[in-house]
Formats: sequence, structure tokens, C-alpha cells
Amino acid sequence: MGRNRAIKAFDPRTSGQSLDLFTATDTRAPVIVELLKSPWIVRASELVPAVSGLAGKRREYEIEVVWDPSRGAPRSFTAEGRRHAVDAVVQSWAVERAWWDPRRRLSRRCYRVLTRGGLYDLAYDRIADRWLLVGIVD
Amino acid sequence: MTAFVHLHVHSHFSFMDGAASPGALLARAAAYGMGALALTDHQGLYGAIRFYRTALEAGIKPIVGAEVVVEAAGLEAAESIEGDLPPDLRLALSPPVGFGRAAGAGFHLTLLAKDVTGYRNLCRLLARTHVRTGDDPSVVTLADLEQCSEGLIGLSGCPCGEAGAAVLAGLGWRGERALRRLSRCFAPGDFYVELMHLMTPDSPRYVSALVALAERCGLPVVATNNVHYAERAHFRLHDVLASAGARTSLPGPYERSNAELFLKPAGEMRRLFADVPQACDATLEIAERCTLDLGLGSFHFPSADVPKGETAYSVLSKAAWHGLEQRYRPVTPEAVRRLQYELGVIQDLGFPEYFLTVKDIVDFAKRENIRCSGRGSAGDSIVTYVLGITDADPIAHDLLFERFLNPERRQMPDIDVDFDSRRRDEVIAYIYDRFGHDHVAMVATVNTMTARSAVRTAAKALGYSPDEVNSFSRYLPWVSSHRLPEVLATYPECRDHPLLKPEHALVVELATELDHTPMHLGTHLGGFIITREPIETWMPLQWAAKGVVVSQYDKDDIEALGLVKMDILGLRTHSAISDTVRMARERVGEDAVPEPFELPHDDPRVYATIAAADTVGMFQLESSGQRNLALRLKERDFEDIIAAISLFRPGPLEAEMIVPFIRRRHGLEPVIVPHPAMGEILRSSYGVIVYQEQVLQVAQAVAGFTLAEADSLRRAMTKGRSREAMEAIRVHFVERACGLGVERAVAEEVFRQLEGFAAYGFCKAHAACFAVVSYAAAWLKTYYPAEFAAAILNNEPMGFYSPRLVLDDVRRHNIDVLPPHINASSAEFTVERDGGAVRVGLGSLLDMTSRLLKVMEAERSVRPFADLVDFLKRTRAEEPAARSLIRVGALDGLGVTDAGRPPTRDEMLALLPELKAVIARQGVAGDDTLLIAPARARGPVDTGHVSGWTPAMRLSAELECLGLAITAHPLSLARADLERRGVTWAHDLPAREDRARIRVCGVRERAQTPRTRSGKRTCFLTMEDPTGLIDVVVFEDALNRYGDVIVKNRAYLVEGVLQNNCERGIALIADRIEPYTVRDEGRQLVRLRRGVGAGPLGPTLGGAGAEEIDEAKEAAREVPA
Repeated sequence: MGRNRAIKAFDPRTSGQSLDLFTATDTRAPVIVELLKSPWIVRASELVPAVSGLAGKRREYEIEVVWDPSRGAPRSFTAEGRRHAVDAVVQSWAVERAWWDPRRRLSRRCYRVLTRGGLYDLAYDRIADRWLLVGIVD
Repeated sequence: MTAFVHLHVHSHFSFMDGAASPGALLARAAAYGMGALALTDHQGLYGAIRFYRTALEAGIKPIVGAEVVVEAAGLEAAESIEGDLPPDLRLALSPPVGFGRAAGAGFHLTLLAKDVTGYRNLCRLLARTHVRTGDDPSVVTLADLEQCSEGLIGLSGCPCGEAGAAVLAGLGWRGERALRRLSRCFAPGDFYVELMHLMTPDSPRYVSALVALAERCGLPVVATNNVHYAERAHFRLHDVLASAGARTSLPGPYERSNAELFLKPAGEMRRLFADVPQACDATLEIAERCTLDLGLGSFHFPSADVPKGETAYSVLSKAAWHGLEQRYRPVTPEAVRRLQYELGVIQDLGFPEYFLTVKDIVDFAKRENIRCSGRGSAGDSIVTYVLGITDADPIAHDLLFERFLNPERRQMPDIDVDFDSRRRDEVIAYIYDRFGHDHVAMVATVNTMTARSAVRTAAKALGYSPDEVNSFSRYLPWVSSHRLPEVLATYPECRDHPLLKPEHALVVELATELDHTPMHLGTHLGGFIITREPIETWMPLQWAAKGVVVSQYDKDDIEALGLVKMDILGLRTHSAISDTVRMARERVGEDAVPEPFELPHDDPRVYATIAAADTVGMFQLESSGQRNLALRLKERDFEDIIAAISLFRPGPLEAEMIVPFIRRRHGLEPVIVPHPAMGEILRSSYGVIVYQEQVLQVAQAVAGFTLAEADSLRRAMTKGRSREAMEAIRVHFVERACGLGVERAVAEEVFRQLEGFAAYGFCKAHAACFAVVSYAAAWLKTYYPAEFAAAILNNEPMGFYSPRLVLDDVRRHNIDVLPPHINASSAEFTVERDGGAVRVGLGSLLDMTSRLLKVMEAERSVRPFADLVDFLKRTRAEEPAARSLIRVGALDGLGVTDAGRPPTRDEMLALLPELKAVIARQGVAGDDTLLIAPARARGPVDTGHVSGWTPAMRLSAELECLGLAITAHPLSLARADLERRGVTWAHDLPAREDRARIRVCGVRERAQTPRTRSGKRTCFLTMEDPTGLIDVVVFEDALNRYGDVIVKNRAYLVEGVLQNNCERGIALIADRIEPYTVRDEGRQLVRLRRGVGAGPLGPTLGGAGAEEIDEAKEAAREVPA
């Protein structure tokens, strides 16, 4: 059964969350995004204890991000010389920790984005005014 | 649709769990163009009225609500307690912030009032919950919620709501059950599932799960943001407050992972809920449905006792005419005219019931012989005078009714009455009985943060130790915390303050931002709300820490609602006057002492006492500034007392009225007025506009205003008007005056003077009401000084001075101060030797118990105590109390030791523990002689005194145990040393020349830094030496050098230039201050710990006359140092 148990057990006939999960035909992205957003799916990345805005594999290095003001989200980013176009923003969250301690302080706005290469967690560090890649989920 | 309305918003009235004022939230909402905003503070409507009013002013629709704690709805009755459930079925309860103990006892629920019915139901629900639960946590029951839900909209709450908590715990079934149960409490369509996307990794899951539950239950959803601060940047304050509120250090009880609880713009909220747009649309729909109108601006009076066939007006006017006959003998046509006019106005404005309510209470007090007196502008009315509410004749003192009740402005009258503070509770009990417990509540006050409390809050949250927190707040002056950086940088007493260290900069930064944040609800000193309908339909109620039911609204809110607020103030002077009269009558006979409030105000001896500045203990006339003024004013009649009370006030001081007043009174400068009518009106104040009533009279006489118009003019001039508004008032005034044939230049000059003084004048009626009490006190002090002093000491804390100084004042009047003694002292100070001596009472002795006091009196009435053993056996005195009694000499001279002399205090102290042990073993039966080995104590240190102690030791013990110096004034022990140092004594100061350079020494009595016109900081230091009081003025440059010496010490040597002239009185302008350690001739230290103050400089008014600062400073500069 594995982790798909929840999906299989889900009865679309009852009034649950209305999702366009099985009706989307134009691209894969909306389906994947909805799947990733779905509350009943436990993501692998969350099996790693999520502290300090990190998720999934713990990698953290500076990247360049092209911002899309109309969407209010990254359009693409360049990591290790390779450019990734953002297909969809799966989720975004904010982190504000230990503001009273300059050594531990963390102030970030994080975006989990879907690209062709996989799912990435990007974070804008408000203190250092720079973009970081903080996690690669798959 | 792109709009959005925030429906779950906390202001700082969610005590310690909100960082924004209602005003700041509204300003932000207005900036975002939001048409409505809700306020939903924790468990109450503390900020609701001011929010409502500010919102209406800002053109935003106010939605009033609250976030309450409700009992679990998703459990069956059998499993109703969370703790009884298996651990995996329990939900996380909210942290203890903002809700007190209710926090962990239920789940959050947001309630919004749709209309007045909803508002009243919300008040009732909150009042019932808070009042009924008493000591238990205030948790709303589902039954109450069902009963009171009409007109209310319910939102299912934040993640601490039951549905939210269930979703987070993965217990969807429980969330569903809770939603179904809660929705049944509300009318169909009035319950919404509240969605919050708080930008945490969990948020999308939280939102979609709740959406699913809502759909399953068929309930609408609504989006909120659980706003706790107006802007993102203020999240730090919220963290600090929540931590301090939960008594933990950061990150605090919520451990919030981000800073997203701010008032977000509509676009951002819509983006967050892009998947569920109907949740955002619902906010608009709810805002549309909420149409609360509180109908501010109308008045609601309690029901007066009106017999059948009468009206409130007829009862009032009958009582008033009857009173007129009593007060005016003979009744004058002027009094009749005036009463007729006032009754007419009161009737026109619809206030007869209010007057009857006040009269009812005052009549009760008079029936029960509870001393009382009205104060404030109510003294301007002949109605209050003839009803016996006030005691100053408004006709004789030129008091104007329009200053009290302006027929042009329908404003709630405010009659404040002072009652004998010891018997105030009887008056309060009567009010509850008379109007009903459901119709009376006390007014609340909101206690807000000052610099000290803000520093303590921030430091505690940041995890500093209690010692560090104390060291941060110590020596900080009483200022607003927004001034903290400036104060730390510039105030001399903050030199070397630990907060100046860079590592503590965050404490200062946070404390500065916490300025005026409400901390908790307090109880108003004497404000009562009395309503006709049950009070819980008007406002939420709760228990105050004092054990009384208090409204959640403060006095301004009550006034806005148009409800009657009565100030039942306790005045200790009334208690002291009553006590003095009682003691004097006991000594000289019942008929020999007249009622002091009914005395004619014409006794020259009384005025001589005041003019000699012998005013310690006298109501309103005793402060150092008043004594200084008395020496210059030389009061001769009752008008002078009124003038003195009025002149030494912030307004007149700021307008520098005293100098011209004094100079003109003594003929040093001519009285010049621009218009002859002003000469007549201002005759009593030598052409200076001192009283507000005079402003009205001048406007009437010069420009032909009616008194009502003139009062409106005065109010307009008093409030901070713009230059344009003032110009319009000026043109109007001048035109009217010119129309009456006054020359334009004259009219302009009259207006200039009115403009200069209108804002600073003092209400003469208020001063006149006080003057009646002052005169009574002065009369008693003149004729019964021992009784007066004993009464003052028995009613401490009161007045301006410490008990130690009052006792020193007794000694200076050649009245003996008798030490406390177990065979002579009672709990209170008493008068002995036919008024020639005051015996110190034991009531305020360190560690004394009321049980011991009672037993002592009872046993002493059988026979006096023979010695320590006898005393301990018969009273079973507690050891600490017995120790204090021995140390202050209350057992001196009792008993005989083997050495053939009474035991010394050291011997008794050494013997005490053993005696107590032996007596405990023996029980009280029989008169067995105790055989105890002589205590091993040192012999008498001073063989000249029965106590065996030196004067310094005795004095230190007296100060520590009683806060009094009974043996002698502390400095009198160091007399030789001080004379060697060339010190001038206080009683020699009047004989020294103006501008002489002198040195004085004194112990600190008061140190104040009132506001000054120049904005500079000046300290008025009142010191006392064995011969009297010394006023010292420390200007800013000296204060910068010696401020820390003043703050950190209790006795000083001060050098400076004496100011001694009739214009400015006597004061020393200090230029050098050093601490003085008091030692007796044997070099033994006198410890001044209790009884002599130390610490920060007080902000209140006092000192030698703030108005002359600049001049005096110039004068001082001219003297060569």
C-alpha cells in the first residue's frame, strides 16, 4: 500500500476538497502541484526534521534568482552554473527565528518551487539580502 | 472582488498579547483602503469603545467583537474534560497569554456583534462568564453561548480553536463534531469556519483540511489573519509581550515561527487564499451584516427616587428651595434669581435625575455623619450648594454656573464628592444597596507601561536574571519610555546606568517601543457606574484584583456611552479632620469645639498660621511651594486661600502668574488693565487673570458675550487651536467688542490677555471648595495642634510629608513627643498632658500584628505590664513584634535585673528567644515565676540612658522599626560636626541676606523635577534639619553634576546662594551638593533606611516656585561664587 494508501482510500464522491486533480489535461504541472499541496500526502522532505527553514536534503548555498513581480515569486534561478526555470510555486512560507540573538537570527521567505529538475526550496535571506538554495527535495 | 476586511484583530488591549493600539490598526486599515475593521481582543471589549469612536472618525466601519475561551464542543458530556482523554486524543490547548488561567481550560472562539442586540449579548456573555466563574478560569459555557448568541456571528477560531487544534492533531472527527455543535449555538448562517494561512509550512494543509470539514458540515468559510500587530516590524514587541505575559523568556509561549500576524493588505490576503476566494468574499459579507450603532451622544441616568405624582424636576426643585432657606439667611433676591435660572437650565438639559442621584448619596453620608465635600466645577452651581453637595457660596465668591453647566453644550455634568476615606466603604455599600448590585460597578483604569515597567518587561522577556532586571529599572526616573534613550543619555542620575552598556541596547530599544502599552486592568480610585438597566447589558464586567466587580471600560468609555459615573473619592484629610474634632471634644468637651466646616472664615489667628508657612499637614497648603508662596502672599482672608490654591497649579505656574500677582499685591508694580470693566472683574487678583471664571466675565463685560458663549470661547481657546482657528476667534471677539463701542486697540489687547491666560487659568470653584477644607484644617492646627498632628499621623499615608517630618513638626511646636510604651501606647497616636504631648502609637511598628495590639489593650486594662516576662506571658507576643517593641524602647524601664536596674534593650533582646521557649513550654496557667539564667549580653553602652543604648542606636532602631525619629532629629546628633562645617540652620535662613553664600545640611524629604516653561530640568529639593524645612533649587547645570548624589543618598550638605526676598521667598540655589553620613559625637552611624526617602526624582509639582526658575537663575548668576 505504501504512501499512496491515502490517495487510494480517498473517496472523491464525498464532499472533500475540490481539486482539479484528475481533470487537468493541459500540463503535468498543475497536477503535480496539487498533489504536492495535498494535505494527505506526507512528503519525503518532511521526514527530515524541519528546522530553520530547511527541508529535504540539507544543502545551503547562494544562488541568483530572477524575480517575477507580477506573480510575487521567483521566475527562475541559477544554481551551480545551471539555470532552472520555475514551472510552479508549490508553497511559500516565512521564517523568523531568534531575532534577539544576532548569532542565531534567521529571517527568511521560503519558496518551494517546481522545476524540470525537481523540487527546490529557495529562501530569500532578509538579513543578508541574498537568495539561497536551502533544500532539494527530490 | 479584490477587497478584504480583517475580522480577527487583536489590539494591545488583548493585554500582553497584542502590540498595536486600536488607532494604529485603524490607520493601517485606512491606508489600505479597507472599509471596515473588527477588533476582537481576548475575553473582553477593553478597547472596543475607543476603537469604535476612532473608527467612525476615520470613516471606517467598526466591527466590535471578542475572542473568548469556550468549553470543548467536540466531546460527549461523559468525556468533557480534556485531561480525561487518552493522550493521543487530547488537543493542544492555547498557551497562557492574554486569557489568564482560562487559556488552558478551553478553546478559542471569535465572536462579532452584528447589531446592538449582539453587542448587549456579548457584554452579557462576557460579564456572566467573568463574574460567575469568580476564582475559576473564565470559560464560556456552551449553554451560555446558546442563550446569548442572538445578534452574534461566530468564527471557529485560530489554531487554538477546537476545530483548528483538532485538524493540527490529525483528529478530523473531533473537529467536525466541534463545528457541528458550535454551529448549533448560533442562528443559521451566523457561524463560519475560520481559515488562517499563517505562512508556515503547515498552513496549506491546515487551510485545506478546514475547508474540507466546512464543506462536510455545510458551513461557510471565512479568511482571517489573527492580527496581533499592525506592521510586520512590530512582531518583536508581540513576542516580548507574550513572553512577559506568560512569565517566560523568548521565544515565548507561542514559539511563533515567523512574523506574519500583521494587518496584511487585501491583495496579499487574497493571494494567500487564491484557492478559496469565497473565504475572502465572506469577510465583506460579514462586514456588510455588522451594523452596530451604539448611539453615542445620548445620556442614560439611573432611576431617581420620585414619589407618585412628582417628576424628577419637581423633587429636585423642592429640595433646592428648601436648601436655599437653610443656606441663605436671609434669602436674597440674587440667590432666588440664580436658583431659578439654574433649575431651568438643569431641566432644559434633562439632568434633574443626575442631581437627585448625587444628592441621594450625599444625604446618606450626612445622615450617617460621614464627612464629605463636593469639589471641582460643581462648586460653581448654587443648586449643588443649596443641596449640601458643595460648601462654598457661589454668589459670595463670584462663581459662574456656566463654567459648570454650559446651556450651549449638552455635556454630562460631573460632580465629584470627597468622603471621609475611612468610611467611604459605607457610602459604597449604600450605593450598591440603593441602586442594586446589578446596576452598579466600579470604573476600570488601564495601567500602561512607563519607562520602568517597559524596561522590566523587555529585560524579563530577554531572559535577564531578576537581579539584572532590578538593576536596570533602579534609579530610572518616572518618564514615558519613549524618552528612555534621551533620559539615559542626559539625566545625571542615570550616569553609569547599566542600560548604557552596548550589550543591553536591545532592552532600551524594545522598552522605547513598548511606550504606553497597556499591562492590565486596574480599578479606578473611586469611580462608580450606576445604570438604570442591568449593567451587564451595557458593558462587560469582571472581578478586579481588589475583589470588586469592575467594568471593562474606563471613565472615558463610560462618558462616551453617556452613562452616569460618580466619583466616590476617599479624602484622608476628612478622616483627619473628623479625628481631630473627636479627640479635641474628648479633651475639652463636646460643645467647646464647633463643626469646622461651618466656621465663619474670619479668624486672624488662622490666617497668621498660614501666612507664617506653618502649614505642615494642612490640606492643599502644605507643599514646599505653597509654604514658599504663603511667605510672599501673607494670606489675610478667605479669597487669599482660594488664590493660593489656584496660583500654585501647573497652568498658573506655566503662565508665570505668581510674580505679577505678588508684586501688584505688595504695590511693587501698578495694576494696569486695558478696559475699565476688567479692573472690577480682576480686582481680587490684581488685574491678573487667574481664574477660568474671570475669562467668562471679561468676555461678557468687554464683548457682550453671554456667559454660555463666553464659556464656549474659553473652551475653544483652551484646546490647542491652530493659528487660523485662533485668528477666527480673535476677529469674532474684536468685532463684538467694537460693536459695543470698545476701541479696537483695547479690544485687541483684552483678547491678547485672554488668549495668554485662558488656557492656564484655574477653576475658582474647585479652589473655593478646597479652600473650605483647607480653612477647617488650618483652624484645627491653630487651636488643637496636638490633636491635629496625632490625627494626621493616624491617617498616614497622606499629604505631602512623611510621618517622620510631621512628628518633627510636632516637636517644633513645643509639643512633647512621648516614646511608644507598652503600658501607655495604643495602636494610634494619642494626645496626653492636656494637649501638651503626643504619644507615639504602635500601629505602624515593624512586624506588629493586630492580634497583639488587641490583646495588649485588653490585658493593660486589667493591670499594667510589669516587665518583659509578664508581657510575654500575658500577650503571647510574636517574637518579631516583641523584638521591635524592645528595640523602639516600648519596654524601657520595666523590671529589675540582678544589677538592681531595669534591663537594657540588649539584655532583653538576648533573653527574648529563651523566654519565648520557656513560656511556650509552661503554657499560660498560673503565675509561675520563671527562673532564667541572666542573658549573656553586653552591658549598657550608654549608662546615661535606661535603655543602655546611645542616641544613635536608639534613633536607628526608631527609624527602622517605626520610620520615625522619636529621640531627636537625626541631624541633631551631628550638631557639633555640622556647626564645625559652618552649616546654617533652617530657622536662621530668614535672617540671612538675600544672595548670601551659605551652606546647609538636611535629610531629604522630597525631590521633584516638575515641568518648567523653559523645558529645562530643575530639581526642587525639600530638606529638613532639626530646626525646620529648607527649600533648595538645583538648576540644570548643578543637577547634571550632582543628580546622582541626590538620587542615591538621603542626607546632603548643600552649598549655594540664598534667595531671600518678598518676591521669590526663601530658597537656596544650590551649586554644590555632597552626601552627608550622619554620625553622633561618638562617631556612631545613624542609619536612615526607613523614614527618610531616597530614589528617583519625583515628577510632581513642588519646590520653591517653578515659575521663577529662569529669573531666579539669572539672579543667581549675578552673584559671584
